Amino acid sequence: MCSEIDGKVMTLNEAIRKFVDDGMTIYFGGFGQHTPFAAVHEIIRQRKKNLTITRAAGGIIFDQLIGAGCVEKVISSHVWNFVGPTPAYAFRRAVEKGQPKIEIDEDSLLSLNMRYLAGALGLPFMPIKSVMGTAIFERGMGKYYRTIDCPFTGERLCLLRAINPDLGVLQVQRVDRDGNAQVWSVRGDSKHGINACERVIICAEEIVGTEVIRADPDRTIIPGFRVDAVVEEPWGGHPDYMQGCYDRDLEYYSMYGSETRTPEGFEKFLQEWVYSVDNRKEYLKNLGVERLMKLRARHVLSAPVHFGYR
Amino acid sequence: MKEYSKGFKPLEMMVVAAAREIGDGEKVFVGMHWPILISFFAKRTHAPDVVFFFESGIIRDSLPDRLPGSWSISDPCICQGSTMCGDSLDTLGMLLHRGFAEVGMLSASQVDRHGNINTTCIGAYNKPAVRLPGGGGATDVASLSKRLVIVLDGHESRRLPEMVDFITSPGYLNGSDSRYKSGLRPGTGPIALITPLGVFRFTAKEREMRLSTYHPGVSIEKIIENTGWDLKVSNNVTETEPPTKEEIEILRKMIKEAKERYYSFPPET
Repeated sequence: MCSEIDGKVMTLNEAIRKFVDDGMTIYFGGFGQHTPFAAVHEIIRQRKKNLTITRAAGGIIFDQLIGAGCVEKVISSHVWNFVGPTPAYAFRRAVEKGQPKIEIDEDSLLSLNMRYLAGALGLPFMPIKSVMGTAIFERGMGKYYRTIDCPFTGERLCLLRAINPDLGVLQVQRVDRDGNAQVWSVRGDSKHGINACERVIICAEEIVGTEVIRADPDRTIIPGFRVDAVVEEPWGGHPDYMQGCYDRDLEYYSMYGSETRTPEGFEKFLQEWVYSVDNRKEYLKNLGVERLMKLRARHVLSAPVHFGYR
Repeated sequence: MKEYSKGFKPLEMMVVAAAREIGDGEKVFVGMHWPILISFFAKRTHAPDVVFFFESGIIRDSLPDRLPGSWSISDPCICQGSTMCGDSLDTLGMLLHRGFAEVGMLSASQVDRHGNINTTCIGAYNKPAVRLPGGGGATDVASLSKRLVIVLDGHESRRLPEMVDFITSPGYLNGSDSRYKSGLRPGTGPIALITPLGVFRFTAKEREMRLSTYHPGVSIEKIIENTGWDLKVSNNVTETEPPTKEEIEILRKMIKEAKERYYSFPPET
């Protein structure tokens, strides 16, 4: 498939090559679901450097990007391996031993969501009544937090600086060729995060006709004209959940937790699951059909709704 | 007449005591790990009409047909059958920030005498001995819930220092009215800490924890010895009401299922 002929539709390899530059600030969407694992692995394979990465809850995609040496700075509220819970060992090595050295802007989940919202609205900041008094607040004070007395009520407010990442990446259930992207189930920070970004790559379980989007437009999370690249990447969110498609691969997460305890184990993981495969199809081959079938979601339909009018 | 359990474990007592902090019909903002088990357990026992808020954007008034995978408030089983599924801004913002969460339930790594929680780092921030995950939504739940309940799954001095190394989620900060002077709303803050040894509550003036009830079989001396500051004991201190046989039966089934879903617990669970 060639991007010149087919507009926004391209392979992940092309999309990352075209839109990711070293030193960029990149937002990664997804919150347990809709996690762009395939895109993260492609960024690692293309050995992108000095990235600032942001996401409300980093999870193991941040652990992998950090351990692979792609990251200069993290803007997040939480980085851990959700299953167990188990430490995110590459993140810990970076913070505890400086291997590799990273910078962190600590935040809370709500305040980061509101910083994305400010970015998405084109506002410079949002006020909040959370976080004040904490060490997170002290660290961010003067940089991305300020306080004021509310001009209307006089109460003390914390102001949160807007974030507008250079690029956003999100894995969705379906998208059309124009980039109208649809998700269902938990949205976490994805809607405001992705809409705060300057450019957007959408990876989808499937590319559908625009008539499918038009028949159920409530589900669109970002309009097509805001999207720069559309990639069809089924199972691109493995090992996380994707409602209606697949379950989280708890065994894989657990394997990741035990294998990446040491730098050698982490390197081995990257070799096996990222560097030695050229693309997501080969990654899925590594997983095997039997494993995928075990994760595949049961069929549960929502009740249809009427969209009729007179 | 209640039939109390005899051979229950300290962590089972912790879950049951924490669940009792939730009143029937209340709206609970549910944190990760223990809080999922505790609030689901409350719904299966004394609080069938409790409503859950999750930071993933979900409101649920019923139990899912299975436990979510370890730590996951994004599991599809939490979404399917919920009464609302939206953005984190819906639950953390329109519900919690607006003041609709009556109870907040959080697990902690380290808690101090004023109920401040640390889940960021052990040791100095710039050169930590151990890096922890960070605040996540817990910072907001602790900032904004009307009644915050904290659970700590190991009662040891290093996890109960006089002051935490890093205030990730606010309790009463330096005590007295320092929480409210910082800008956090009046009528919010921690009301109890539950550990495998006892239940701790805060004094009205200094906002410092006192031992309120000790779990059956635990001595007050043992609790004081294993606390990192000069712990005071409430004048009305009593023994914690033990779990019933039925409660323990329900809880053990849940813990068994949780282990199958890759929850990791301390070995004595």
